[in-house]
Amino acid sequence: MRSARPWLHYVRLGVAALPSARGLLPLVVLLGAWQLLQTGRSAYFPPPSDWWNGLMLLSKSGRLYPALLATTITLLLGLALAVAIGTAAGLFIGVFPRFRRAAGPLLEFLRAVPPPAIVPVAILFMGYDERMKLTVVVLAAIWPILLNTASAAERVHPLLLDVARSFRLSALDRMRLIVLPSVLPAILLGIRVALPVAIVVTLLVEILTSIEGIGALMIGAQRNFQSSQVYGLLVLIGLFGLLVNNVFAVVEAILLRRWPPKTQGENF
Amino acid sequence: MAKGRLIARINWPGTAVLVFVALAWEAIVRSGLLDYEYLPAPSAIARGWGELAREGLLASDIAHTLSAVAIGWTAAMVLGVSLGFLLGLSATARRYSLASIEILRPMPGVAFAPVALLLFGFSLKTEMVVTILPVLWPVLVNTMGGVTSVHQRLHDVGRTFRLSRRDTILRIVLPAAMPPIVAGARIGLGLALVLAVIAEMVGNPAGLGYGIVREQQALRPDLMFAYIVTVGLIGIALNAGMLALAEALLPSFRQLRGEP
Repeated sequence: MRSARPWLHYVRLGVAALPSARGLLPLVVLLGAWQLLQTGRSAYFPPPSDWWNGLMLLSKSGRLYPALLATTITLLLGLALAVAIGTAAGLFIGVFPRFRRAAGPLLEFLRAVPPPAIVPVAILFMGYDERMKLTVVVLAAIWPILLNTASAAERVHPLLLDVARSFRLSALDRMRLIVLPSVLPAILLGIRVALPVAIVVTLLVEILTSIEGIGALMIGAQRNFQSSQVYGLLVLIGLFGLLVNNVFAVVEAILLRRWPPKTQGENF
Repeated sequence: MAKGRLIARINWPGTAVLVFVALAWEAIVRSGLLDYEYLPAPSAIARGWGELAREGLLASDIAHTLSAVAIGWTAAMVLGVSLGFLLGLSATARRYSLASIEILRPMPGVAFAPVALLLFGFSLKTEMVVTILPVLWPVLVNTMGGVTSVHQRLHDVGRTFRLSRRDTILRIVLPAAMPPIVAGARIGLGLALVLAVIAEMVGNPAGLGYGIVREQQALRPDLMFAYIVTVGLIGIALNAGMLALAEALLPSFRQLRGEP
C-alpha cells in the first residue's frame, strides 16, 4: 500500500473515514428553513444568503484577507513555537525525574490557570501589539504539549535506553534516535489538545484588543450591528476550525506511519 | 504509620520550589532588580486579595462565576446526555446527524460571543450561549460513545430477562455507559469554568472574568493577579471535587482515571 505519494493515500483514507454525508441533513434543513422563513430584513436573524453577501462586502472592502492571514499566521507561528519550546522543555523535564518531581506542583498550578486569564496580563505587560498576541497563544498552547511530552519521556521503554547505551550513543543521538521517536505520539496528542485552545485564545485576544484578525473583524461587525457579517464570519471561523483539525489529522497519520507508536508491553 | 505515610507523600522538593519561586519573585520585585511597573510582588497580591475579600467583591464575583458555571454545565449535561443517548441508541439518528455534529464541533466557543452579544447584549444570556455550546460536545460525544460501546451480550442479558425497553436502558445501558459519561462531565466542568471566564471578559460584565479585565484597565495588577489566582484555585477545586464525586459514585472509576 506504500504509494509514492503517501499524503494522497491519507487524504483518501481521511475522506473514507468521514461520517456519511446523509448526516448533513439537519444542518441543511436548518439553514434552508432559516433562508425560507426569514424573507424580510431582520436585524438579528439575517437569512444565510445575506451572510454570504456580508462576507463578500468585507472581502471587497479589502479587510477580510489581511485579517484571515493575520489570524492564520499568529496561530501557526504560535503553535510552532509552542511545539518547539514545549517539546524541548518536556523532554528535559521527563529525562530528569528529580527535576520533574521538583517542578511538578509549580507546573500543575500554572496549568490550572485558565488560558484566557493570561490575556489581560499580557496586555498590561506588553501593550497592544502582534508580539503580545503571539506570546499569549504560545503560553496557552504550550502546557498540553509540555506535560504530555514530559510524561512520555519518563516512560520510554528501558530496553530502548539500554540499546542506546550498548551502541554508546552520544546524548544528542540518544535524544534524536531513541527518545524523540518514542515520545512522538504523545507530542502529537498534546498538539491535538492544544489546537482548539490556540484557536480560542487567538480569537479572544483579537476580540479583546481589536488587534488585526478575524476576531477583531467579528467584534467590529457586531458593534456596528452588521449582523450578516457577524454570521458570515462565524461560518468562516467554523470552516477554518474544521480545516485546521482535518489537516492536522492527515499530518498526524503520516507522522505516525513513519514512526509508529511503541507500547510498553511490546517485544523488540 | 498513617502520619509517616502522609509526610512521605508530600512532594517536599516540589513544595520547596514553589516557596523558592515565590520568595525569589518577592526579592526581585522589592530590590527593584526587575523593574516592571506592573509586576506586583506576591505579598502585594496577597494584600490585594485581602482588600477584595474585605470589600465583599471577591465573594460576590466568585458566587456569580460559580453559579454561571453551574447553570451552564447543568444545561449542557442535560442536553448532551439526552442527545447522546438518542444518538447512541438509534443508528438511524446517528447516520442522519453525525456529519452535522462533526462540522459544528470544532467551532471555537468564543466565536459565538459576538453573535450572542448581537442577540442578547451584555447579559447572563450571552454568557450562557458562550458557555453551553462548547461544553455540550464532549458530554454528547462521550455519552454517545459510551452507549454505542455497551457490549452486545449485555443487551442479550436484557432480552433474556424480558426487560422492557425502558428497563433495559435504565438498568443495563445507563450503568454500563456511566464511566465515559462521568469523564465527559469532568472535561465539561473544566471547560465550563474557562468559558464562563471568557464570556465574562467579552460578553457579561460580572464575575471573576470581568474582575480580571476591570483591574487590568484600572491598572491595578495586584488585584488582577489576585483574581487570576482565585480562578486557578477554583479550577483545581472543581476538578478535585468532580474526581472525588466520581470515585464515590463509581467504584470502577478509580481504574479509569486515565480517561477514555
